[in-house]
Amino acid sequence: MDVLKKSILLLLLSGYTLFAAGPFVWAAMMSLRTTTEIHYDHFGFPDPIHWEKYPEAWFNSNYAIYFTNSTQVVLAAVIIVTLIGAMAAHCLARYRFKLNRLVYFVLFSTIIFPPQITIISLFQILVQYGLYNSKLGLTLVYVAIQLPLTVYILESFFARIPSDLFDAARMDGYSDWQIFWKVSLPIAVPAVATTVILNFILLWNEFLFAVVLITDEVNRTLPLGIQRFIGDTQEDIGMIATGLMIAIIPVIVVYAFFSEKLIQGMTAGAVK
Amino acid sequence: MATVTLQDLTKVYDRSAPPAADRVSLDIGDEELMVLLGPSGCGKTTTLRMIAGLESITSGSLSIDEQVMNQVPAKDRDIAMVFQSYALYPHMTVKDNLAFGLRRRAVPRAEIERRVKEIAETLELSPLLGRRPHALSGGQRQRVALGRAIVRDPKVFLFDEPLSNLDAALRVSTRGEIAALHRRLGATMIYVTHDQVEAMTLGTRICIMSGGRVMQVGAPLEVYHAPVNTFVAGFLGNPPMNLIPARVAEGDGGRRLAVAGESLVLPPARMPALGPETALTFGIRPEHVTLRRDGAEAGASLAAEVLQTEALGAETIVLAALREDRAAKVMARVAGDAGFRVGESCRLQFDLAAAHVFGAEGDVLRPR
Repeated sequence: MDVLKKSILLLLLSGYTLFAAGPFVWAAMMSLRTTTEIHYDHFGFPDPIHWEKYPEAWFNSNYAIYFTNSTQVVLAAVIIVTLIGAMAAHCLARYRFKLNRLVYFVLFSTIIFPPQITIISLFQILVQYGLYNSKLGLTLVYVAIQLPLTVYILESFFARIPSDLFDAARMDGYSDWQIFWKVSLPIAVPAVATTVILNFILLWNEFLFAVVLITDEVNRTLPLGIQRFIGDTQEDIGMIATGLMIAIIPVIVVYAFFSEKLIQGMTAGAVK
Repeated sequence: MATVTLQDLTKVYDRSAPPAADRVSLDIGDEELMVLLGPSGCGKTTTLRMIAGLESITSGSLSIDEQVMNQVPAKDRDIAMVFQSYALYPHMTVKDNLAFGLRRRAVPRAEIERRVKEIAETLELSPLLGRRPHALSGGQRQRVALGRAIVRDPKVFLFDEPLSNLDAALRVSTRGEIAALHRRLGATMIYVTHDQVEAMTLGTRICIMSGGRVMQVGAPLEVYHAPVNTFVAGFLGNPPMNLIPARVAEGDGGRRLAVAGESLVLPPARMPALGPETALTFGIRPEHVTLRRDGAEAGASLAAEVLQTEALGAETIVLAALREDRAAKVMARVAGDAGFRVGESCRLQFDLAAAHVFGAEGDVLRPR
């Protein structure tokens, strides 16, 4: 009976793993095959293995540039959004002041608007300030679109930190600014890690704002680079897969590095 | 080390509600352990937080060593506080928790090491220095919280119900530790609690508060034996003082009380002469009430019926209702083997030399 139960469970889990990992494995295999091979047999195993496609994408198809751009824009945006978001969240959770809830509501309510609504006005604003088609402009837009969610996640976490801790730090001689850095932020590391990983993955894969706000080849981010392999009349499936794999690697690295903290953050309520 | 003076200290949170602390005036002497005692919502914690600098002061003045502190921020008052929830920093080890306050004050590193080590030894925390607070038991956390306050060597210590999260046995031992600490450090301490046992055993003096106001300040036994009003009389003591409605009757120089159809004559030392028909409250502590079998010679006594008995071993607490006024109930603390049964008739004999009389407003009436 016990064996039967375990087998069923194992079967279900294997099925789910196949379902979840299948597309990824498929893309990984395609990244090592040429487009001609893929057209001949969609699901074939890479034989021979075309490792040379990676250097080709990196050097000949400008992936080095896209990768650098993505890294610069996303890292800068994540750092800024984390800092500003944490400070705002700390403030909203910790201080009683007039219109506190109104500020919170206005900030958070922007989440309900689909991004397409803001894109034309954002385009106008960026053109006006000379930020259109620049990495700085895209970074600022990324900060703006991720700020509400970041504040939302962090505010609920900061609000759960007992106020006695802040009082104790004040009695220990620390100013509000120091308390933020030495008490609030370190305690909130699991929640901060959650927002970092979330923001990183969302922005790393962000396409809509990038495609509207960036036109120059030298400023393109990875999602735009992958798009370049899709022509008007044909798609270079093999290179799209290679580009995808290059784009995915940092996400996997970040996730692996932060995932323990992420789980801690998600289960933070269970810990006193 | 330090004196603390509160002059009409008032805190108003909400203008439509009564003040949380209402004109609290208190002189706390050097090396004194002042206990602020009262039920929840009496303003004791608010008062403490105003002293700490964690709450702004609406009006009145607060001085430490004769320097007005109203506008001085908490971090510059040189006060340490022990919180009810311990408020240990969860992301720091015990050692860092102890050292956190010193680091801010630019104490040399070697000096910090030395003081942390010394405190850890006195509080038996040495083996725990590398642990985080979540890996400590309640009692250990409490000791770290104490250590964090002591290590700073502040002018004044504040305690906000520090024992209320501990179990009964630990509470008794930690209470002893705090008393020993006070003797050893000779520091000025202000201790907030709603537990009268803590107040009686720890306090040099007790300040009893109710509704944001100070009711009475005095040494523990003084407050116990000479309460200034019915609130203090009913709050201190376990079980508390019996308070029975009475009237002044004719005769015996205005000291004859009519209680439940019978009369008691109080000695001149316990009651001023009052005019007939004055309404008042007769107060007597349970330990000054003795139970007599019906018919026995009982002197100053009232007829009653036993409602309930609680045998505690060494003593028995008897709850009785007066026969002529069933609403008036009296608690008596009698010997453990007194053997009274529920429903039994008896006479309550009072030691009137320890009786109290309170006026219609609840204030004590004492002979001039």
